[in-house]
Amino acid sequence: MQALRNIWFLALATCTEGVRHKALWAIVCLAVLLTMANLGVTTLYSWDLGKVSVEFGLSAVAFTGLLLVFFLGMKILADDLERSRIFMLLSRPVSIWHYLTGKFLGLAMILLLATTILGLSAALSMQYVLWQYPAYVPPNFSWLSYAMALACQWLSLVVVLAVSVLCFSFASQPFIALLLAVSSYLVGQNMELLRRVVVENAHAGALTSQENLVLALSWIFPNLSLFDKKYVAAYGMAFSGQEFALLCLYGISYSALLIYLATLLFKRKELA
Amino acid sequence: MTVPAIEITKLDKTFGSGRKKNQALTDLSLTIAQGEVFGFLGPNGAGKSTTIKLLLRFLKPDRGSLRILGKTVGQQEFRHRVGYLSEFPVFYDHLSARETLLLSGRLSGMTRLALNQRIPMLLERMNLAEAVDRRVGGFSKGMKQRLGMANALVHDPEVLIFDEPMSGLDPVGRHQIKSLIAELKQEGKTIFFSSHILSDIEALCDRIGIIHKGVLLYSGGLRDFLGTGVSLEEQFVLVIEEADHASAA
Repeated sequence: MQALRNIWFLALATCTEGVRHKALWAIVCLAVLLTMANLGVTTLYSWDLGKVSVEFGLSAVAFTGLLLVFFLGMKILADDLERSRIFMLLSRPVSIWHYLTGKFLGLAMILLLATTILGLSAALSMQYVLWQYPAYVPPNFSWLSYAMALACQWLSLVVVLAVSVLCFSFASQPFIALLLAVSSYLVGQNMELLRRVVVENAHAGALTSQENLVLALSWIFPNLSLFDKKYVAAYGMAFSGQEFALLCLYGISYSALLIYLATLLFKRKELA
Repeated sequence: MTVPAIEITKLDKTFGSGRKKNQALTDLSLTIAQGEVFGFLGPNGAGKSTTIKLLLRFLKPDRGSLRILGKTVGQQEFRHRVGYLSEFPVFYDHLSARETLLLSGRLSGMTRLALNQRIPMLLERMNLAEAVDRRVGGFSKGMKQRLGMANALVHDPEVLIFDEPMSGLDPVGRHQIKSLIAELKQEGKTIFFSSHILSDIEALCDRIGIIHKGVLLYSGGLRDFLGTGVSLEEQFVLVIEEADHASAA
């Protein structure tokens, strides 16, 4: 029970620290401006305005979330080690597991807050575009699909955050952790495409007959493209609750596994 | 017979490997009784902070064992009975002094009710009552050090471990911390603190340990170490020079 309490206190402190950080609000303001730019950008197109508006709004959320993970999240984690702040916490009955899980959950809460604010801001600008140009509203467009796509976007950011925590747990320098996390994100975004190219195409160049290797890699790296539901939301395509539940299960279990691995690796680290 | 507050046995610690290998501690053994104020003296890089980090399990020893209040470090939980102040206390910049102490207290297993009573009292004692709701990022070095002291005391621990508690403070700040350590001594707390400010050690400690290049040169009563008519500074320098000559020979 004390373990859960410790995790909650650490998560709350991390979230409070992050929420009061100027960097968070600078990024959120930038993103709100970006989603508002939706109004201007959409009118540059002469067809599919509704689709453009939804995709643009969700892309702004994704971009901002990544900035938050890679800059604010990694900075908070790195500061704990570089400025020896971690000693203040680990001199208490707090295990590495409590520490990393608490940090991870606190940062996930910040991402949830930012995604909610940005999602609402994007929704407002989209609502305006859809109201102005009703002829271009996708026939099956639903706000529920949009909300589910937004939730998937947040889950994708949570997975990227877990990858960042893992990189942070073993990298000798925060900059190396950042590079590894960004690289993993890029691989994760394109892994599904690579897998399909190799498995479904007999002329995949150097990767021909390397299906097993690519398949193995696709299980190791996060499959971030699964969470990308911009297209689905923009066209109002069917998005079942079952698919959503499976994505949640995948995101949560993959993140939990990464945090577990991060704990094992971090325990080997000496906090000199 | 009461259990020693701190018991270090045949401790070795090395950093790096190959050419970069640095033997930080060699065969260090120390025992500190409960209620004692023990000063851990040594020049810069002698191994004082390494010993403290090993005591709190921030580092793992190559060999040897450490016990605090009878609990083996790394195997049994003891940290709710220990208060720690680092040389440069660093807190979350955007949390207030109250929130910082609340976090530390809750992590040490205290209830919110108990903390609501203890935190104002502690901050008053540290002359930080007016800064209770100010964010720590705006605190001066002295204020951070006093908040660090409050942070170490928030859960009323039996053993206090301070790493250079007076380092970098102005005379007023040093005096405040010294008075506080004296008060804690009166309350019967066990205090283990490292320092290279000899006058502070002389004023506060019952027993001292002198470490140089990772080797314990002396451990015992302060009076026994000084002899007659010799100041701590003179005797300390003599012991260090003798050790240097012996290792050079």
